[in-house]
Amino acid sequence: MLPKWLVYALLSTLWWGVFGFLGKVGADRISPAQMQIFFTIGMVPVAIVCVLRLHFKIATSKRGVFYSVGMGIFAALGSLAFFGAMKIGRASLVAPVTSLYPALTVLLALIILKEKVNKVQALGLVLAMGSIVILSL
Amino acid sequence: MSQWVLLSLLAVVLWGIVGLLQKVTTNYITADAVLLWDRVGYLCLLPWLVATASLSHLGPRDFLIGTLDGITNSLGAWFLYASLRSGAKASIAVPLTSLYPLLTVLMAMGFLGEKVRPLQWFGIALALVAGVLMSLETPAASQTESGP
Repeated sequence: MLPKWLVYALLSTLWWGVFGFLGKVGADRISPAQMQIFFTIGMVPVAIVCVLRLHFKIATSKRGVFYSVGMGIFAALGSLAFFGAMKIGRASLVAPVTSLYPALTVLLALIILKEKVNKVQALGLVLAMGSIVILSL
Repeated sequence: MSQWVLLSLLAVVLWGIVGLLQKVTTNYITADAVLLWDRVGYLCLLPWLVATASLSHLGPRDFLIGTLDGITNSLGAWFLYASLRSGAKASIAVPLTSLYPLLTVLMAMGFLGEKVRPLQWFGIALALVAGVLMSLETPAASQTESGP
């Protein structure tokens, strides 16, 4: 049996695969800013489902809310920087460079959260970085 | 340094920090609450976006593709938060889920008839191996058993 965190992580990857595909289809038709607007509208129904699942108890921890909102703002600002880079730079360079962001997360998690990864996972991380650079080319 | 490099690095820094915050915030609230509030963060930028982009000449198909993109992104995010809340490490779950372009490439091949170049096949194979290796968590390391 796969551990629960892994099942969730794989389901996340699956949905993001579809998200990436739709983003690709959309990018051929509309501009990044237009896409981002529709994208933001699309978030609303999922957010509503979450509110219902929480029985409207949406703010049980101030700190959790603070980090989450900040996270959303950072993520959206990151997208704008990415689109900005895409506009003035070559996609064949911008895409692989920006795809390396998980390397920074790993670094921060090891330093700040004191997480530890085993040797096999460390090798996996190196291969993962290589593969996402290649796939973003 | 050229401007595209600066902007690209800015994206890397912002997204890299997001990966860390994803783990930190799931220590405090459930996946449902994290998703809700991080989407509020996105919404904060909506007025600026609306001011810069016109939607007047776009059709229902564009709307459908764009909103479905937002829905699938949110579902993916929810499952990542659920994974982190179930004890996944940020240093594993974030890079593991970032392998999603593997599926995007395969879907583009299946549905759009895009040809996969030899280098991309190599990338796909590499991503699969990397995914399996990263999944091999040492049992003692997954600590918390709280609900998503």
